Amino acid sequence: MLADVKETWRYRELIVALAMREVRVRYKHALLGIGWAVIMPLVLMLVFTEIFSRVASISTGGIPYPLFAYTGLLAWQLHANIIQGASRCLSDNSNLVTKVYFPRQVLPASVVLSALVDFAVAALLLAGLMAVHRVTPGWQVAFVPLVLALQLSLASGLALFVSAANLFYRDVQFILQVGVQLWMFASSVLYPLPSQGVFAWVNLLNPMTPILDAWRYTLLGAPAPRPESLAAAAGLSLLTLVLGWAWFRRAEARFGELA
Amino acid sequence: MPVAVELKGVSKRFSRGPRTRTLVDAVLGWPRRLMRRRSEDGLLEHEFWALRDLSFQLEKGAMLGVIGPNGSGKSTLLKLLFRILRPETGQVTTVGRVGGLIELGAGFHPYLSGRENVFINGAILGLRQREIRQRYDSIVDFSGLREFMDMPVKNYSSGMYARLAFAVAAHAEVDVLLVDEVLAVGGASFQMKCYDWMARRRKQGVTIVCVSHNMYVINSASRCLFLADGEKQLEDDPPRAIERYLETVQARGEASLHMFTEAVGGQPRAEILRVELLDGQGNELKTLEHDSTLLIRFHYLIREELECPIMALTLQPDDARFPVQVPSHYFFHVASGTLLKHRGQPGEGVVEVEVPQVRLPVGTHRVNLYCFNGSMTHPIWVKEGATRIEVLRPIWSDRLSLMDHRQQWRVLAPEQQR
Repeated sequence: MLADVKETWRYRELIVALAMREVRVRYKHALLGIGWAVIMPLVLMLVFTEIFSRVASISTGGIPYPLFAYTGLLAWQLHANIIQGASRCLSDNSNLVTKVYFPRQVLPASVVLSALVDFAVAALLLAGLMAVHRVTPGWQVAFVPLVLALQLSLASGLALFVSAANLFYRDVQFILQVGVQLWMFASSVLYPLPSQGVFAWVNLLNPMTPILDAWRYTLLGAPAPRPESLAAAAGLSLLTLVLGWAWFRRAEARFGELA
Repeated sequence: MPVAVELKGVSKRFSRGPRTRTLVDAVLGWPRRLMRRRSEDGLLEHEFWALRDLSFQLEKGAMLGVIGPNGSGKSTLLKLLFRILRPETGQVTTVGRVGGLIELGAGFHPYLSGRENVFINGAILGLRQREIRQRYDSIVDFSGLREFMDMPVKNYSSGMYARLAFAVAAHAEVDVLLVDEVLAVGGASFQMKCYDWMARRRKQGVTIVCVSHNMYVINSASRCLFLADGEKQLEDDPPRAIERYLETVQARGEASLHMFTEAVGGQPRAEILRVELLDGQGNELKTLEHDSTLLIRFHYLIREELECPIMALTLQPDDARFPVQVPSHYFFHVASGTLLKHRGQPGEGVVEVEVPQVRLPVGTHRVNLYCFNGSMTHPIWVKEGATRIEVLRPIWSDRLSLMDHRQQWRVLAPEQQR
């Protein structure tokens, strides 16, 4: 695995070039340009703010709901973009995969990077929202890189898995469109999930809920996620990364025929 | 010399079946897949060997020409060397950086400008961004597209696209160079530029593996691999391999030009009676100076009315022993085009072509004459080796382009009717 990391590092400029190509193409002919990265989470946030302020009331532990929702959507958008982008990255680039050699993990890696660009842009709006609501992050903000790393290891592991899987069975990308939506509603993106009863187990198996809670803890000063669920999330994320990597390596031998 | 490329007992298997399945197929087909057995030669149903037990070694700086009929595993071999495919058995070893002219313009995105695409394509070919910046001007000059670099490549013509793509590929540093037939996409002058560049790379010690149907290129290889049905038939010096290849191809019915020749009651519908090769002053020529003017005069006879007949001539280097399968545009090639449009009435006539600057490989050339119908699909009449002409002075230069002949056609007789 160390050798793989080294080889990937050697091709870092290609990862950047491909990610930049993705970002450029996406926004070149768009009127609002890179602003589109903000619009999706912003609109969802506004819709759900309306719903929860009029129809149902919800307790977010003293955090203004728009901030609660936008933080969740921001992190989720990163997650969803990586998984869905990765599912298509090998099949969409079949002219590269079948014609030119470079380490194949470069393609999912560039998906992660281009999703991070959108994430960074959308995060600027979060800073603005926090200023409006006069929320200043505490010392916990120092843990942000750690939370991001945790989420990225989970997403990268899944990205490696689904990118290869979609070459074998093209329905994977369609299953994911539904699956990622369902997963969002089963995580604490737009509402806090109770941590008792059956949810204690769901949360233990779903690393995204503790990760989302950790984002709100570090950025907004919300209550910290329970240490055991965070530890479980960390373990699961790393396991996903290792397994995803191993599967990708195994499947790689046939990419040239399948793409 | 150290070995640059080595194959040991390499086999590659493919399936004729669909390449991707849906999950439903996978679930339903699962019990059957548990039951299936490989046949004696290691194949499942629908599978075949694209390459079988192939071994060879190539020294650094050598050039291997690969020939064989379609489907004989030539491209598979290149993909194995490029690590795009992995062999089922055996080992592929390459020393140093492997690069290919297999897919030109890999990663080009139509919406991005030429400049942006140069950087992406370069990165895919293994160049550092810094290296691309250093070579950017040279790449642009090579492509000759400086004023188009900010234009999205979707607005490029296919020729411009190929030129830019090749310019980037030519600036990648490689130790082993793989070349596929793709080079055939560009025009003839572009191809010449490619082959020229390849020859220069070879002088610099780059090892080359080249798949081509152009026997002139194959003939310049240091060794030649003849593949048929995935198996190595012969590995030898190029002329002998080419001979074997042509025998096989002809035996399979991928036949020579002669077989297409039509005849009407034993006599062809048109025929070139005589051809005169003259210099600029109208004197007869036996030798031809590079860059001098050549005047070709066709005396033809049309027996039966023809739709836009075309008179054509190719010059074929004498040392090339392959009368078929050689794209004639590689050679000096002139045709009257539609000059004789509406002038296909029976009778005799003369057309003349003036070629102001002749650029040909040095040596004796056979003159081949053809009479085509207007669609150029097949010749009505062919005479190969009608006469000979000697070309003096070698002309392998950077600007070499056999096709840049600014030809001028004139009808001399009968009088042009409108």
